[in-house]
Amino acid sequence: MVSELSPTPGARSVSADTEGPRPPMPVKMVIAGGFGVGKTTTVGAISEIEPLTTEASITSVAAGIDDLSHTPEKMTTTVAMDFGCVTLDPTLKLYLFGTPGQERFGFMWDDLVEGALGGLVIVDTRRLDDCYAAVDYFEHREIPFAVAVNAFDGKVEHDLNDVRWALDVGDHVPLTVFDARERGSVRDALLVVLEHALATAQQ
Amino acid sequence: MTVGGGVTKAGTTREVKGEDEMTAGEPSAADDAWGVEHPPSIVRPFLLTAGRIAGGDSLVPTIPIETQVVATDLGLATLDAFVFDQHRDIITICRQPQSLAEIAAKLRMHLNVIRVLADDLRADGQLALYAPQAESARDATVLRRVIDGLRAIPDSRGAIRER
Ligand SMILES: Nc1nc2c(ncn2[C@@H]2O[C@H](COP(=O)(O)OP(=O)(O)O)[C@@H](O)[C@H]2O)c(=O)[nH]1
Ligand SMILES: [Mg+2]
Repeated sequence: MVSELSPTPGARSVSADTEGPRPPMPVKMVIAGGFGVGKTTTVGAISEIEPLTTEASITSVAAGIDDLSHTPEKMTTTVAMDFGCVTLDPTLKLYLFGTPGQERFGFMWDDLVEGALGGLVIVDTRRLDDCYAAVDYFEHREIPFAVAVNAFDGKVEHDLNDVRWALDVGDHVPLTVFDARERGSVRDALLVVLEHALATAQQ
Repeated sequence: MTVGGGVTKAGTTREVKGEDEMTAGEPSAADDAWGVEHPPSIVRPFLLTAGRIAGGDSLVPTIPIETQVVATDLGLATLDAFVFDQHRDIITICRQPQSLAEIAAKLRMHLNVIRVLADDLRADGQLALYAPQAESARDATVLRRVIDGLRAIPDSRGAIRER
């Protein structure tokens, strides 16, 4: 079996004559938000496997409070990341990564997020502050994202327009309400992100 | 062993290449050095990777975490010859294609250690790595396929998943 080679000049590929089963094309989406907003619940509601946890590295950027130069201090931190997957068809597999992040610090998940189709920022309306870092991140990286309010027990404490105003996200960012425990609701929230990503890609 | 040539088709995976390609176009992260915090689980794999680490300004390419990894026939044939259990474990679970993230989770090893080991095994022809296409996130065809695939998912599960 001849292995595929990228058109990149100079790239080499060495591969065994016969290979194992051909894997599906992997695509990924990122589930972000503060601690306890329902990221793992969201992944678990739609994943075909029980969510797995792995250690990964993220770079946190702590503002240099004591530092007169105000140079942000970067630290590489090992964090636990939950993820799951959905085989959409034999040739296409969607991975969902619940990205960890500390509130009050900026952080960079570039290593985890590079190439993501889009992001879903989960919000608990009782603790709106917790999602600012995720919103900022996706905005700066220009990754299509939507904000999804997790309606804990069916209750949303604020009007959606108030949430939009408080988060200071533009009208182009889709805002939705969902239930992290319901598979259909998670599916629909992911579709909101993907439709937005498609619209962006077609511009 | 075959060194093949061809062009990557849209909607397929491409195989991971050498360092030159993997690092090309990636944002520079020179400050992103590893090692401010060394979790205990790193100590032994650090020996295994001969001190090499993935990510940041490392020379080891940062292979995407969703990259699919499959054992080659060569890898399976040489299973008994591995000195390190970790190499054998990776080849063994990669009889079934899976992502780097799954390998790291199942073997309880840091993702960046798995990146190094998988890249070594790829270089030796014992694993085949299929990275996602770099542009798929902006590819309307790919996005539509994912949308259609997700839409087909019913509201609730037909059977209760094993817990
Ligand atoms: N009642 C209710 N509980 C939820 C909901 N979503 C998450 N939880 C619970 O909130 C807690 C934190 O959720 P988790 O998914 O672990 O949050 P994470 O830290 O963002 O991964 C868990 O105990 C969940 O069972 C929800 O929609 N309703
Ligand atoms: Mg969690």
